[in-house]
Amino acid sequence: MGYLQAIITGIPMTLLVTVAGFTLGAIGGIPLALARRSRFAVLRIVARTVIEFLRGIPPIVWIFLIYFGIGTGAITISPLGAAIAAFGVISCAYMAEIYRGGLSAIPAGQWEASAALGMGHRDQLSKVVGPQVLRVSIPASATYAIGLLKDSSIAYTVGVQEILFNADMQAKQASDAIVPFLYAALVYVIITIPCAWAARSLDSGLRRKVAR
Amino acid sequence: MTLPATRQSVAIELDSVVKRYGDHTVLDNVSLSVREGEVVAIIGPSGAGKSTLLRCINLLERPDSGRITVAGHAVDAGSEISNKELVAHRRVAGMVFQSFNLFPHLDVLRNISLAQERVLGRSRKDADKRSKELLDRVGLADKAAQYPSRCSGGQQQRIAIARALALEPKVMLFDEPTSALDPELGLEVLAVMRELADEGMTMVVVTHEMQFARDVSDHLVVMVDGAVLEEGPPEEIFSKPGHERTRRFLRAVLER
Ligand SMILES: Nc1ncnc2c1ncn2[C@@H]1O[C@H](COP(=O)(O)OP(=O)(O)O)[C@@H](O)[C@H]1O
Ligand SMILES: [Mg+2]
Repeated sequence: MGYLQAIITGIPMTLLVTVAGFTLGAIGGIPLALARRSRFAVLRIVARTVIEFLRGIPPIVWIFLIYFGIGTGAITISPLGAAIAAFGVISCAYMAEIYRGGLSAIPAGQWEASAALGMGHRDQLSKVVGPQVLRVSIPASATYAIGLLKDSSIAYTVGVQEILFNADMQAKQASDAIVPFLYAALVYVIITIPCAWAARSLDSGLRRKVAR
Repeated sequence: MTLPATRQSVAIELDSVVKRYGDHTVLDNVSLSVREGEVVAIIGPSGAGKSTLLRCINLLERPDSGRITVAGHAVDAGSEISNKELVAHRRVAGMVFQSFNLFPHLDVLRNISLAQERVLGRSRKDADKRSKELLDRVGLADKAAQYPSRCSGGQQQRIAIARALALEPKVMLFDEPTSALDPELGLEVLAVMRELADEGMTMVVVTHEMQFARDVSDHLVVMVDGAVLEEGPPEEIFSKPGHERTRRFLRAVLER
């Protein structure tokens, strides 16, 4: 039972990396998604290139690049900071694509009706289309966030003391190394199931309220 | 300053308006004049350019040539127009769409208040107060806190009318407002429109409701292939259409 207790102490770090990375992405993804459909071709191309670049590099490489790259320069970065930054930039790209999908799902009539009412582009985005995009993006965002929670285990490679880090510590002292990892697997499942359930009930609650 | 009587009484003036999509000419030199307080019905087959015409009037589409004047505000095709002018122009021309286009994430009251706050700069309190009056006027005072999805199509369209009226437009443009509705629900929308007309609102109504066109409109315009085929008093056109094409269209609509 000592294993489980030790592994549980990693939960806050796992959640911190996940939530902070996701939050950075949920915010940073907005300008990136808007740039992606800008009326200026240059901006569209730049945004698209940035997105492909961010997504094209594996998370573990991002973490190493940031931790050993920035970390050896003039400024130093903690393992936790590097992990959050890495998942943050990756999430920007993924969330931008989720928002872009949501944006294209909004009927043209919403833009037209708000334009006909004299609303400017900024108001259309922030008061009419944007809230609907966030709403339709909930299921895809939740799926992404749950994937991120699992990917956050990579942070262990630079020494962030999250779930996998603690499991690995236990395994090194254990007679049967598989057991701590089984506990880790169990903990991940126990965290993700209620997250998925909460996202689904949020989604269907909103759907009941505002569905067309 | 007093304007000459003829100018004063004109609410909408289209002067040789041309609109093309690529090499497809959708509006081919359309001229149209709507007097203040007049109700103009536009009928014609699908693809005739009726929606495009309405969308040009409130500048959702910019024409390729010609001039559009609404409530004394003239816009020439191809001229630069500031955002401020665009907003001013749209404020005086309220628009009601076939598919209602209510904002699904806002309750009914917020649907009507939003543009008052953002465009007219009204406080939330004042906007909501006005919205309630308008809801009352379209007979839906009890729906204020509902979401649009909880309302029938007829109710949604009446809410959309209230939303457009909230900006105190000088003219109202209706694009087949009852085409998406069951006949029964269409009637409650037509009743609201009839009331508006009685109160003296200037209206341009694209419709397939021949009864409405005949009873309520002062002037009937028949559009075919991006042009005005004929126009005149509705009674006259219905009883003796001047073109075989009009005759065929009327027969097709009435036989439905
Ligand atoms: N955004 C657009 N791009 C290209 N063609 C269009 C567009 N909007 C309308 N059209 C074309 O213009 C013609 C007139 O359309 P519309 O004004 O909707 O006619 P109506 O309302 O009389 O049915 C149609 O042939 C339609 O295909
Ligand atoms: Mg149409």
